[in-house]
Amino acid sequence: MEELHRLGLIRGELLFLDSMLHMYPPLLEATLTAALEHHDGQSGRLVLVYGDCSARMLDLVRRFRVGRVNVINCAQLLVGRDRYRLLMREGAFLVLPEWARRWEHLMSSELGLTRGVARELMGENRVVLVYLDTGLVPAPEQELAEFSSYTGLPWRVEAVTLDSMLAALLEAEAGARIEPDGQEMR
Amino acid sequence: MNIADFSDQLLTAMINADRAGAADIIECAVAAGVDPPRVIAHILDPAIVSLGRLWEGEAISLAQGFVASKIAEDALLRCLPVGGVHQHTKGAVVIGNIEDDFHSLGRRTVGLFLTAAGWDVYDLGNDVPAEQFLKKALEVNACVIGASAMMQTTALNIRRLRRLIDARGLRDRIKLAVGGAVFNWRPELVAEVGGDGTAHNAVGADQLFIRLQSQVKREVAQ
Repeated sequence: MEELHRLGLIRGELLFLDSMLHMYPPLLEATLTAALEHHDGQSGRLVLVYGDCSARMLDLVRRFRVGRVNVINCAQLLVGRDRYRLLMREGAFLVLPEWARRWEHLMSSELGLTRGVARELMGENRVVLVYLDTGLVPAPEQELAEFSSYTGLPWRVEAVTLDSMLAALLEAEAGARIEPDGQEMR
Repeated sequence: MNIADFSDQLLTAMINADRAGAADIIECAVAAGVDPPRVIAHILDPAIVSLGRLWEGEAISLAQGFVASKIAEDALLRCLPVGGVHQHTKGAVVIGNIEDDFHSLGRRTVGLFLTAAGWDVYDLGNDVPAEQFLKKALEVNACVIGASAMMQTTALNIRRLRRLIDARGLRDRIKLAVGGAVFNWRPELVAEVGGDGTAHNAVGADQLFIRLQSQVKREVAQ
């Protein structure tokens, strides 16, 4: 999103919440609601760049009349619905840049897994690690190799453009309420 | 150690992602004379219900909940008879995750419970279009379709299945059970997607399907 913003393909202010809120959907919902309440009534358009990350995401869209990207998660935002379905059918475990850097902390601290249990669970549920590479930051090959060794799953890098994300953002912007004093995307 | 102690220990093992520990507890219970059906009913079921309460009370994270549920599935598998022993089944049912939904764990666990309870379960897997659900249900003469969705937007895809069942005039013959985490968070969603019923967790799936099957029998008889 920062790159699209830098290129002038999307406009407005980008606001980010802590991605780890995803681990606690009710807390994410409360934090998101507070953020939306804070910006409610201000000029411009508000676009929610969230997938199905809490049980009431669509209710927030209705309540605050904001736009929202029509995807179920960030990975689908990047690759699009059709490619995402194929990857899921393949048994891919999708890895995004931020996740790749923190995989060890996430597996041990957030999930509470030992190496052995992690290896078992990943092997039973997934077939391959797929890093989605936007090309904006170098692919963390060392971390991916370590994560692969940890899980016992092979890994590969799949290049993705920002086209799907841009299309989803612009579609969401078009669906957002316009306040009279401006046209910003947030 | 009594049955309640086993259940408490199992819950602790589930929350702590202690897969081997959970397996040991199940084996100890069986070795102590608790037969597998009682392990399911009095050790596993209460642990799953308690896990659900912890999740709803935000005492555990999404990730912890997933791992704990996976361990519960392991425990259930250890208690199920190999190859099935039900000579007279309760009937055929079709289950699957609705189109665009890939959260399979809950569905698999429901399938295991239903199989253990004596249903012929046809599990279509993840990302199942409405047409595929109905086609299979007609093929196997199922009285209930169980559509699973974990999140709100994918749950709304179940509406298409509802419309399809109704459009084919099958409302009285095939009931639509819906389930998944989002239905626990917001029960009103059951009606919104056209569900005929839901269960709070996999433990309640058998009773739900029995109830829906009896509705079919009543309505078909009328």
